[in-house]
Amino acid sequence: MPFSEKDKHNKSMLTILFKHYWLENKRSPGFYRNLAVTIFMGLMALYFVVIFVMLGFMLPQILAEVVPGSAPADLFHGGILYALIAMLFFRYLMQPLSRINLQAYQVLPLKRNTLVSYLLLKPLLNPANYLTLCLVIPFAISGIYPEYGVAGAFRFIFSLLSLIAFNTLMAPLLKRQFSNLLTGMLLLVVAAVPALLEYFGILSLFDLSRQLFTMMTGTPLVWIAAWLLPLGAYGLNRLYFAHNYYPETFEKKKTWRQSDTKRFSFMERFGKIGELISLEIKLVMRHKRTKSTLYTALLFLLYGLLFYPNPMYNESPGWLLFVAIFVTGTGMLMFGQWIINWDGSHFDFLMTRNIETSSYIRANYFLLMALCILSFIATTPYFLFGTYVIPYHVTALLYNAGVNIHVYLFAATFNTKRLELGKGSSMNMQGVSYKNFIVMIPLLLVPILLVKIFALFSADHIALIILSLLGLGGILFRESLIRMTERQFLKRKYALCTGFRKKE
Amino acid sequence: MQQNVNPLNETPVTPPAVPQVSIENGGIITAAGLQKHYSGVNVLNIDSVAIANGESFGLVGNNGAGKTTFFRLILDLIEASAGEVMIEGEPVARSDAWKQKVGSFLDEGFLIDFLTPDEYFTFTAKLYNKSEGDLNSFLESMQEFFNGEITGSGKLIRDLSKGNQKKTGIAAALLGDPQILILDEPFTALDPTSQIRLKRMLNELKRTRNITMLISSHDLNHVTEVCERIVVLEKGLVVKDIATGEETLKELESYFAV
Repeated sequence: MPFSEKDKHNKSMLTILFKHYWLENKRSPGFYRNLAVTIFMGLMALYFVVIFVMLGFMLPQILAEVVPGSAPADLFHGGILYALIAMLFFRYLMQPLSRINLQAYQVLPLKRNTLVSYLLLKPLLNPANYLTLCLVIPFAISGIYPEYGVAGAFRFIFSLLSLIAFNTLMAPLLKRQFSNLLTGMLLLVVAAVPALLEYFGILSLFDLSRQLFTMMTGTPLVWIAAWLLPLGAYGLNRLYFAHNYYPETFEKKKTWRQSDTKRFSFMERFGKIGELISLEIKLVMRHKRTKSTLYTALLFLLYGLLFYPNPMYNESPGWLLFVAIFVTGTGMLMFGQWIINWDGSHFDFLMTRNIETSSYIRANYFLLMALCILSFIATTPYFLFGTYVIPYHVTALLYNAGVNIHVYLFAATFNTKRLELGKGSSMNMQGVSYKNFIVMIPLLLVPILLVKIFALFSADHIALIILSLLGLGGILFRESLIRMTERQFLKRKYALCTGFRKKE
Repeated sequence: MQQNVNPLNETPVTPPAVPQVSIENGGIITAAGLQKHYSGVNVLNIDSVAIANGESFGLVGNNGAGKTTFFRLILDLIEASAGEVMIEGEPVARSDAWKQKVGSFLDEGFLIDFLTPDEYFTFTAKLYNKSEGDLNSFLESMQEFFNGEITGSGKLIRDLSKGNQKKTGIAAALLGDPQILILDEPFTALDPTSQIRLKRMLNELKRTRNITMLISSHDLNHVTEVCERIVVLEKGLVVKDIATGEETLKELESYFAV
């Protein structure tokens, strides 16, 4: 039986590859050292699981309240296709591509099929990709079971499981095929088309979805039909790899022309500081991790849309200030935590060239300042929700620019971990330590607490004035604050150099 | 020199056989009582070394002898446990003044790997206030060393071969017309032709610009051909300090042949 022998061999090779992956993670020096971060991430995950489970159980009541008179199961079924598109887009942005050190394995007598299967199946084995099930299963119990019985509930779960698998397989394919921002945006537009059609009453994706999934939950046929989508996605992926197997074909090295970055040359008018800022801009645009953070930051600009229309939040000063600081400072808050340590890979260069320490610190300062001002301008449309937004946004701008930037710069001298920018993922915690979380306290907690306390005496405007004055002070006295950071930087310089030299 | 007299003046530690500058007669780089400990282990212990202006200084020693540690101390990338390094009489520690005079390339940390070589050279040139014309004529003079492969390709430095990365780094170290050049194992990873071209280039620089060079190498042939003075480090100590002559290579070979 030569065939089955071979088959067995390939299967066992696949398990060995997965075992290597596990070892690679376990033996990476970051695994244990980063215990605090791991625990924090675990707690975050737990938080989301609990929220999802609770939401799943309460969803029938919520739906009945929001849209009285229609069955929760119907509403849920109708939303599935929209959720599918939204999740696909979300995963396109967030889900990391699975990787393998292909060249090391390619030369070994391993079947190409085995390697490809490994790359494709890896995301399916990641529990994080099944988080939606925490919502789906409780809803199956609370919303589907009463109408469709036990068998119906299982069919419902199964059909959604197949959609999750479909999405998990499709997102990497889209990502591999359309990897630049422009096509990403194009996909967003395409995804928005059904919503527009629905809005103008031309074609209702909602009705289509409702009919399709009501049928799926209702018929035993689902046990066969639900396989089609993930299998189809898997097939498409295989087809892609059949054409693009060799690393040079799908990991093409991009070449850059001078003109690609000429756009930032206006920065260079500002002397060395401008040069350093344009270097940081290139750094952001040429690394996966920083680029995906940039997109995330752009998405977070929309965060206010969740809060401002909602009376539950827009009457609470604490929430309003939180949202204001967050949306007007998105870019600064996200990139600020990497300042200095994202220069880790070329830190020796920066420290030995003709760059005065003061220019280096100032370049970082002005970069963060520019981010603050840009996101403030980008979020001015929120003023349309009412004039009450304006004082919060202005306070947030002043506080971010006057206090938070200095806190970030000062705190950056303590973060001695080299940031590996090559691996792109939004949930990548490499180079992040508990210090990053400690920094959050003055950034967000202090102002919010202050406003909350003053709000008790319904004097929240006084809190806003205090915060604005603090911010103004930080802006007016920036020179002496920057010099303080400079001295601190020189004190920590050797620790930073040594830390950045260690690769994880 | 308004400085106080160095206590080491009274006890010259340099062997008399070698014609040398000592700290009092103004070496461009001086290290006195320089020590570096890592978790209790003394990895570098240099009583006194002075390097004269225009001297080409070769540093040899086996792995772990402290060559790179010494260079990092000169470049103020690590903190000395004791003693200090001075360039032109000024301590390097936490100072910016020396940076304009020193060109260096130790390892890939001195490259900016997400730039193309052209962008990297342009950026470095701006840091040293060079005009575009200066940069172009400099790159022109480097074309032979680059073998036509580095500039104009549009590839990022991280995608270059190790040898081409090294060439890029060495060229950038020279870009600011440094008075002092520090290179850590410049010959490794280069192909034979490039090694010979680099040697020629370094000798040329010595002749025309009287540049002070500090070069570490595992290749005894190369280092004796380029350097007038060879210092052998072993476990952080200076064990030999010799002026290069006819017998130097043999002397070094017999020293390392254990």
